[in-house]
Amino acid sequence: MFLLNQPSLNLLERSLSASTLRQQVISNNIANVDTPQFKRSDVKFEEMLHSELDGLSVEGYRSDPRHFYIGKSPGVNAEIITDRQSVMNNSLNNVDIDTEMSLLAKNQLRYNVMIQQANHELKQFRTALEGRR
Amino acid sequence: MKLTNGFDISSSALTAQRLRMDVISSNIANADTTRTQMVDGKWVPYARKVVTMEPKSQTPFSQMLQSAMGNTTTGEGVKVTQITNDQSPFKRVYNPTHPDADVNGYVDMPNVDILKEMVDMISATRSYEANVTALNASKSMITKALEIGR
Repeated sequence: MFLLNQPSLNLLERSLSASTLRQQVISNNIANVDTPQFKRSDVKFEEMLHSELDGLSVEGYRSDPRHFYIGKSPGVNAEIITDRQSVMNNSLNNVDIDTEMSLLAKNQLRYNVMIQQANHELKQFRTALEGRR
Repeated sequence: MKLTNGFDISSSALTAQRLRMDVISSNIANADTTRTQMVDGKWVPYARKVVTMEPKSQTPFSQMLQSAMGNTTTGEGVKVTQITNDQSPFKRVYNPTHPDADVNGYVDMPNVDILKEMVDMISATRSYEANVTALNASKSMITKALEIGR
């Protein structure tokens, strides 16, 4: 069944789960805004996806499925990175509440856009399946 | 990955900030309390309480298991580890008419600084509001996800 296995839907699904993960990471940053020595984290996904789609990374040729992946991984997965370098205030905490709130809003909007896009694609399938009735 | 993980993270922070608020209220309410407990026949004034927080993380076993399964794990929010007494010295106020004054007429008053408490209170309120916003964002995202394919 290849109908629902389109690359665009798979991509949307992966982006949605990355966005959900980012929501949790940002929530955690906001939750720890008053915790001494807490270091903020972020989710790295878009840059990796971008380089994957551009084909900028070198990919090793695999002649056997048991071979290691060289360069590219089989799919882009979201990654959590923690910023351990910077310091925002005297408690060695580096959560900037304004940045976090704007990231939260941005992530939410992006999520809504992707939901809308997924709905649109599914509607197209429905049209294709039912025809004009 | 649990669906409502974002809720748990934000609500742990709401709990922590509310407790912080309660402790601040207690500090302000007891700003003039001179009798907390009797030590060697002398009343000890109220000592300012301070809330200590730390990030709540999964148990080491759960962390290992999740990373072995290739899942990415986020933090689990925040928790209050302890409520401690502020060790700074008590304020000594000259007030010979006070029943708890010593022979020289000085009274030990609590080490509560109302200004400090007010600033802490604003900070706790703002953090609480930020977490409510994050919770609402998580909620609207999940509501939106339920609409896929409608």
